[in-house]
Amino acid sequence: MNPSASRIKVQPATESEGRKDYIRIQDYGFWYGAKKALDAISLDVPERRVVAFIGPSGCGKSTLLRNLNRMNDLVDGIRHEGDIQIAGRSIYDPGIEVISLRRRVGMVFQKSNPFPKSIYDNVVYALRIMGVTDRALLDEACETSLRKAALWDEVKDRLNDSALGLSGGQMQRLCIARAIANRPEILLMDEPCSALDPIATGKIEELIHELKAQFTIVIVTHSMQQAARVSDHTAFFYLGKLIEYDTTEKIFMNPSQAQTEAYISGRFG
Amino acid sequence: MSENSKHPPDAPIPARFQVSRFTLLADTWMGRLIRFGGISVVAAVIGMLVFLICQVLPLFSGAKLEPLSPVSFEKTAVGFGEDEYGELPFTCDQTGTLVFRRAYSSSASAPGAVVKTWSPTLTPGQKVTALRTYPRDGIVVLGLSDGNVIEVKVTYKITFDEKGGRTPQPQILASPAQPLGRNLLPCLDVWSVKGPNGHLVICRQQEAGRDFLTAARLPEKFASAGSGLPAPVKAFNIASDIPELERVLVPSTADSVIVIRKDGEVRVYTIDEEDVTFLQSFRPFASLPDSRIAAAGLIFGNVSLVVNSFSGVEEVWSIYPQVQPDGQSLRRWGKIHDCDALAGAGKGIFPAVGNKCYLTVAGGRMQIRNMTNGSLRWDAPAPTSEIRQVVFSRNYDRLTVLSADGVLRRWSVEDYHPEASWNTFFGKIWYEGASAPAYTWQSSSGADEFEAKYSLVPLLYGTIKGTFYALLFAIPIALLAAIYVSQFLRPELKKIIKPTMEIMASLPSVVLGFLAGLWLAPIVDANLLPLICILAALAPAALTAGFAWSSLPQPIRRKVGPGWEFAYLIPFVVFCGWLAWQSAPLIESTFFSVKDVASGQNISDFREWWRQNSGWSYDSRNSIVVGFVMGFAVIPIVFTIAEDALSNVPDALVSGSLALGASRWQTVWSVVVPTAISGIVSGIMIGFGRAVGETMIVVMATGNTPVMEANPFNGMRTLSANIAVELPEAAVGHTHYRALFLGACCLFALTFVINTFAEILRQRLRERYKVV
Repeated sequence: MNPSASRIKVQPATESEGRKDYIRIQDYGFWYGAKKALDAISLDVPERRVVAFIGPSGCGKSTLLRNLNRMNDLVDGIRHEGDIQIAGRSIYDPGIEVISLRRRVGMVFQKSNPFPKSIYDNVVYALRIMGVTDRALLDEACETSLRKAALWDEVKDRLNDSALGLSGGQMQRLCIARAIANRPEILLMDEPCSALDPIATGKIEELIHELKAQFTIVIVTHSMQQAARVSDHTAFFYLGKLIEYDTTEKIFMNPSQAQTEAYISGRFG
Repeated sequence: MSENSKHPPDAPIPARFQVSRFTLLADTWMGRLIRFGGISVVAAVIGMLVFLICQVLPLFSGAKLEPLSPVSFEKTAVGFGEDEYGELPFTCDQTGTLVFRRAYSSSASAPGAVVKTWSPTLTPGQKVTALRTYPRDGIVVLGLSDGNVIEVKVTYKITFDEKGGRTPQPQILASPAQPLGRNLLPCLDVWSVKGPNGHLVICRQQEAGRDFLTAARLPEKFASAGSGLPAPVKAFNIASDIPELERVLVPSTADSVIVIRKDGEVRVYTIDEEDVTFLQSFRPFASLPDSRIAAAGLIFGNVSLVVNSFSGVEEVWSIYPQVQPDGQSLRRWGKIHDCDALAGAGKGIFPAVGNKCYLTVAGGRMQIRNMTNGSLRWDAPAPTSEIRQVVFSRNYDRLTVLSADGVLRRWSVEDYHPEASWNTFFGKIWYEGASAPAYTWQSSSGADEFEAKYSLVPLLYGTIKGTFYALLFAIPIALLAAIYVSQFLRPELKKIIKPTMEIMASLPSVVLGFLAGLWLAPIVDANLLPLICILAALAPAALTAGFAWSSLPQPIRRKVGPGWEFAYLIPFVVFCGWLAWQSAPLIESTFFSVKDVASGQNISDFREWWRQNSGWSYDSRNSIVVGFVMGFAVIPIVFTIAEDALSNVPDALVSGSLALGASRWQTVWSVVVPTAISGIVSGIMIGFGRAVGETMIVVMATGNTPVMEANPFNGMRTLSANIAVELPEAAVGHTHYRALFLGACCLFALTFVINTFAEILRQRLRERYKVV
């Protein structure tokens, strides 16, 4: 293992395109009780790009993703060191409410989790809890989000039906629509296609391409092909360490680390 | 094909793949056993329901009358009498001659055979001018042409032969002629009543077209020996201002006389040892075009009068306390019921003894009704010839009718629940002696002539009231606790609290009832206002604490681990409670100062203030105590079920909501609670069922007063407590017993309806909020 692997600081093509680093992770370590899950991770995610986290199960990629909006806060006995900054401010800044962080950083889960409410109520949920009651605003947000999630045409006639009547792929797109309804800046996706068939997966991937124009997206995936298809940058994790982080093209065509190459070519993982 | 030849179809299955016979047998038999068990449970529930209904149905069956063999007498018969078993009835004609005939065939004679005749011995010139028979007492009173009265007493001497056959022999004892009326004026009508306070004989005479009634108290042995002279009460003229007298009714208490005049006026006189006093006059049908009274009868108990008009209107008038213009409350006659219209003019009203039923002859029908609840118990065509006399036997088991054709028609009466009707149990009833119609449960009393009152409405009301107060206390606490424990509390504390609550559910309710009645009620009684103050302070204190917490800066709040916030809340709330307790005396003396009735001094007492200002009573065994303790029985059940439902909400939904920027409370309120709502509804319903059916706590802590008041500071009687308290003293098969079963049916129906409704609601909610 390359001792400096976890401290890679990429200066990818972003600079040349004039994009700023948006999420900045610095020497970030994380413990579940006594178990160290992440070890001194440093990586920067540029604005309006798709970054894929890949690696074998248990490598810490999901843990890192869930820490970006502090979803791990409710777990007992957690501890961290280092820092994560979003748009220049630490997410652990005592002056920042975790709720406002989560409004800025949306999340889509591995298994679609629509609420047992109507499609409409699902989409406008985030707005409602923010206190929006204006029906026109909600209607507009609902339509916009569903259109962005490429679901509008399929559900526009049954917005008041239960969301639980949708197919698996539709549910996952509904969850994406729900996550973008309050216009976050960052979208975290935790293996969003792992429970879907290839057609639904294809739709979600297309969607990710389109959402990139507006959102910074971090996606965790087990599918190397998916990472290759959707992401601009790819980070490879192994045993809680960041092994390699570079443009997707470089990682898949010409990885600089032997472990990365071994994982990508399917020799372990 | 080669495969097939390798494994021929009849090749034996290798032993390691074979299933042992025992496994198969056990599978079959266990399947049957389980099916049998399931069917047995359903059958047992249905069986219980059927049993309950079978116990209750006889209440609503009405009277069954079976005709017995009629006995033909002379057409001149005007009155009759009979022995206890109706074996040897007699009739009496205008001359006072009694004829006894056999009703059933016997070895000695055929049915209808004359057994004995008897005529009064009169001095020359004397003639029987009036007579009246009292069949139940075997008394015939004869009024003579010279103003004398003879009372004839018929008794039956029973002899038994060696085979055990009984033979009744009539014995007739006639008093000597007693000069009761004005001398030498013929008696036009006579009455004789033996009341608890003596024997009253009244005779009517006429002088110059004016009616006179003379009442006399007689010595007890008047009829038998004639020793001693009657002590006449003052004679009174009842026709001085209004034309004629129509009829006279004498209550069996022999302490008053009711005189009905031809124009429909009813005049009531009381008779004491020396004098006759006019009490009251009323005209039942004053508003009708024809205000005359066609028929009238005094109902058993002597305080109610049923009157019929010629147009078929029937009313019941009764004597009850009425507030007079001068503010005094006096017992006076007033109308208490408007009965169903009759088919025609009333021809006679004949009351039963032992209950409030009466037979009306009108429009060619004979109908038995219950006076109190107005229910029609029997309806049959009347004999075509004019009816002379109708009598119910003493046990209300035989009806005998004498008509003008001389035939004595008889029916056996089977009416075990004459006082029961739908109206009795669920309607507002004006009972005798009451000042207004009311829902009353009063199943027993010390007095013999007491009429049991079986309204289930106060019990239903008490059940719902007790349940309401219990749930009012239990549901918010149980649900909030369930939400808190499932969503906010630290898991290690939850591991302690949940089993503790479950143990609480298994506390025997008799222990809770004992604590409530003997320990808690006196404490609450002594510290009522402080406790109310604490209760009132708790919720605001908790909310204030929450608000203060949320306005603390983030860094301070972050120092407290999630789920430990209660450690800061509890001391604050306890402090607020202590403050409320301490300030209670001040509040009491400031707001609840009243003048003590006994001493006339100002005292600070919330209970007295409540009595004087709310118009309601205050009991130490009250709904607050019951609600509190019954809440303790209900909380663990509701809590456990609701907590399970809330804990089972998938984490994915909670995370999904939190990731969208919802606060924990928003997540709980808009995602967790709706998703778990069917379980929460189940919990509430099971808690409701427990509260409705709860018995021991209410028996011990409510005071069991069947009153209908929303007053939180008095008790109640619930259906279940009523059954527990009264079933041991109810005679099997009697109305009281069956009324208790009807209460059980109501309880069953109440829980059944509400649980069914709740189950439908739950299914709907589950459908709506089901989770993939």
